[in-house]
Amino acid sequence: MTTKYSPPELRPKKLDILVAVVVLVLAVVVAVGFYGPKLGQGEDTSVVISMGGEVVERIPMTSFPDGKKVLTHNGYTLELCLSYNDLPSSEGQLGVYVLSSDCPTQDCVHTGRISRVGQSIVCLPAQIVIHLEGASNDGAPDIVVG
Amino acid sequence: MAMQKWTTKHLTLCAVLTALALALSTLENLFPITLLIPLPGVKLGLANIVTLFALYYLGTGSAFAILIARCILGAVFAGNASALLFSLLGGVVAMVIMALLRRCRPLSVYGVSVAGAAGHNIGQICAAMITLGNTMVLGYLPFLLLVSLFSGALTGFVVALLFRAMEHVNLSRS
Repeated sequence: MTTKYSPPELRPKKLDILVAVVVLVLAVVVAVGFYGPKLGQGEDTSVVISMGGEVVERIPMTSFPDGKKVLTHNGYTLELCLSYNDLPSSEGQLGVYVLSSDCPTQDCVHTGRISRVGQSIVCLPAQIVIHLEGASNDGAPDIVVG
Repeated sequence: MAMQKWTTKHLTLCAVLTALALALSTLENLFPITLLIPLPGVKLGLANIVTLFALYYLGTGSAFAILIARCILGAVFAGNASALLFSLLGGVVAMVIMALLRRCRPLSVYGVSVAGAAGHNIGQICAAMITLGNTMVLGYLPFLLLVSLFSGALTGFVVALLFRAMEHVNLSRS
């Protein structure tokens, strides 16, 4: 084994400050990039209703009308309802579901309740899409371990 | 550093350093710094002392071997396969950054150490993004980078102490 090795510089030098500054700047850049764009938007999730491929309504979940909202398109009628999640783990989380529909396939009813951003209910016969939009919990991890 | 022959002495030194790194990781878990800074994943990174020391004293190849052995054995001891990806990615990114910056003469061991600690966090966040399949964990990185400034400086300080002591010791002479 060789006895030659190159020991490091043991006292802090000026360039070390540069490294610290670079790390600091990186932290700020990531923070701004990650948290910055969200500041302008509310935490609200919106219910976006499309009929025949066009967005006809965009309602914030919190101001969704109580009771049923009746959607009619292409000869079919859907009843959209608002509900709270009654699971203790996500108490008070708002969601919407299709209570009933007179369409033949009933896929929209069977989709059940949606509450997370990005989820949608699609009724093909009526050509109605109900989609949840917003910045609140888009793909947020359920749990972080480690 | 020139290529070294893997003599018994060299191999033993690597093994002892691997054991030391594992012991330091265990020690670190006994005193969770998360009590002071309530962020999961915040660590002092004491095992990085070994990596940094090995990098300067034994060269990149040996330091890399010690790192890989430490990560695999650590995952085996912890019985956690997913932790392997975290420690490997974090360790390898830190190692590559430190191995490159080591060549930069105007930098002291402090700068190399801080950059390595930051690289470790970046690697771990990458592992988290791969595991979770989304980029939400990226919001975590700024806090980890801030902590790495302090933990990196601490590690650098310990390594500087170590090398001052090493001036009076020659491990390679019997």
